[in-house]
Parts: sequence; structure tokens; C-alpha cells
Amino acid sequence: MPPGTAPRPETRRAPDADAHLLAALRAGDESAFAALVTRYHATLKRVARAYVSTDAVAEEVVQDTWLAVIAGIDRFQERATLKTWVFHILVNKAKSRGKRERRIVPFASLSRDDDGPAVSADNFQREGEAWPGHWATPPRPWEDPERRLESLEARERLREAIAALPDVQQAVLTLRDVEGLDAPEVCGLLELSDGNQRVILHRARARVRADLARYFEEPA
Amino acid sequence: MSFDEIVCREFAELATDYLDGALPDATLELVEEHLAMCDWCRDYLGQIEATAAAVSHTPAAAPAPETLQALVAAFRDRPKEDRP
Repeated sequence: MPPGTAPRPETRRAPDADAHLLAALRAGDESAFAALVTRYHATLKRVARAYVSTDAVAEEVVQDTWLAVIAGIDRFQERATLKTWVFHILVNKAKSRGKRERRIVPFASLSRDDDGPAVSADNFQREGEAWPGHWATPPRPWEDPERRLESLEARERLREAIAALPDVQQAVLTLRDVEGLDAPEVCGLLELSDGNQRVILHRARARVRADLARYFEEPA
Repeated sequence: MSFDEIVCREFAELATDYLDGALPDATLELVEEHLAMCDWCRDYLGQIEATAAAVSHTPAAAPAPETLQALVAAFRDRPKEDRP
């Protein structure tokens, strides 16, 4: 894809992919509810984990969220998509649980310099070298990434790389790149500025890219 | 950041802003000039895109079966509101 023609997710508004689920849920269809839970449970947990201290507490927050969804489904107004509504319930519950744990809300304090650069300075030439700021260790081209990333082994590596990210980066990466929420939705949900949201997303992508690069450099 | 040129180290931070169409015009122009002449940064950009695409095909794990059963039971037993 030539530069500048990349899709711009925030300008594209997909219809609610879960609309059919909503009708079924309101009709009391248990398999629709099971499908909804199966589809979003782990994602919700990853987002909750950015606000609370342990996986066990995050799991409780997610289960509370589902109970609130059950209680509220008949009154849900469809001003947002079903998915966005569920995520808002989750974030509210996770935030108040985090406050009770006296955990500082992690998103508030992030800025561009907190966590070092997306790509380590060691990869670039230093002042005094021939081309300061240019690649010293350039990215090696990936051979046929789509095909290689289909293997079970690659998927497992990818899952590990995501799981190893700091909680906040996992939350933003999951919402943007796994769930496909657009930038304004994620900013509204996590109360992030547009700039911070993108810095966090980019750091997450850059770390996962570095892990995948190591994978691609291993003999196939 | 210098104002007349972007170097690779700077582009490495801006790739997601670029893909999101979030760069101010002046920076966008410098980024496109840089990409036109830097194969390595084009490779890097392609790898960031490939990473985002790969992540999007990584479904999260399903909930524990007993959790799912308990939640479905709660759904089944929910108090029904008056509906038209």
C-alpha cells in the first residue's frame, strides 16, 4: 500500500455488527447472550486490568459488568452500539473498583516521554556518526508475513507479545486493533487525549512489531 | 525535532499518527519526503501495519465454562420488564 493511502479508521463508521444480537437478547435468547459473553469477556478483562490490581479483581469487574448488562438490556437506548455500551459499563465499574483499591488511574499521567521511545535509541546512529538519527540497525524485510503469521506458533508468539505489554498499552491496543474501535471512541471511553491515545497505541504496536521481528529472524 | 527534515528516529515515533491521518500538514509533508527516499522506514511502516493487521486476527480467549454457565443462568433468571 503506498504511503498516504492507508485506511483511516476514525472516519469510517461501521453499522453495529451486533445489532442482530441485541434483538435476540431482548427476546431472551440464551445462545445470543452466551455468544456475546464469549465474544467480549477476555477483551473486557484486558481493559479492566488497566484499572485494577489483579486478574482476579478484573474478572470480578467483568462479571459485574455482565450482570449490569443483563439488568439494563431492556432499557438500552441504542444511542451507542451494543459493544460501546458494554465497554462503558465496564470502564465505570473498573474505575470505581480501582478507586476503592486506591489505585491511581493509570491513563491520566501518560505523556510522550514516560516510557522511552517506541524504537530503542540503540537502533539509530548517534551524534558524531555519519548519519545521526538514521537507522544503524535497519528493520529487516519480512518474508511473506501474512502466510507466516497464520501458523499456530506465530499466533502464540503474538498472543504472548500482547500479554507482555504494560496493562495500559494492552487496553488501548485491544480496543483499537483487536476490537476495531475508532480513535474518538477509545479517547471517550478511557478519557484520554487524542495525542496520548495514539502514543500509547504506537508504543504497543512498536513493541509487538519488535517481538514479531525477532520471530521472523528465527529460521523458518 | 528539526523543521526542515525528519530523520528515521523521528519517523519511528510517528508511524501510527501517519497511518491515522493525524499529522499536521507541515509534518505530513516532511514525513512523505522522508518516506519517498527511505526504504528502511517504508519497511518499518509496512511492519507496523502488518502488526496491527495480525493483532486484529488474534481473538481473545473464551471465558471459563463455569463462568459462562453462571452468567447464562443469570440471564435466564433475569426479572422481565413489561414490554409492549
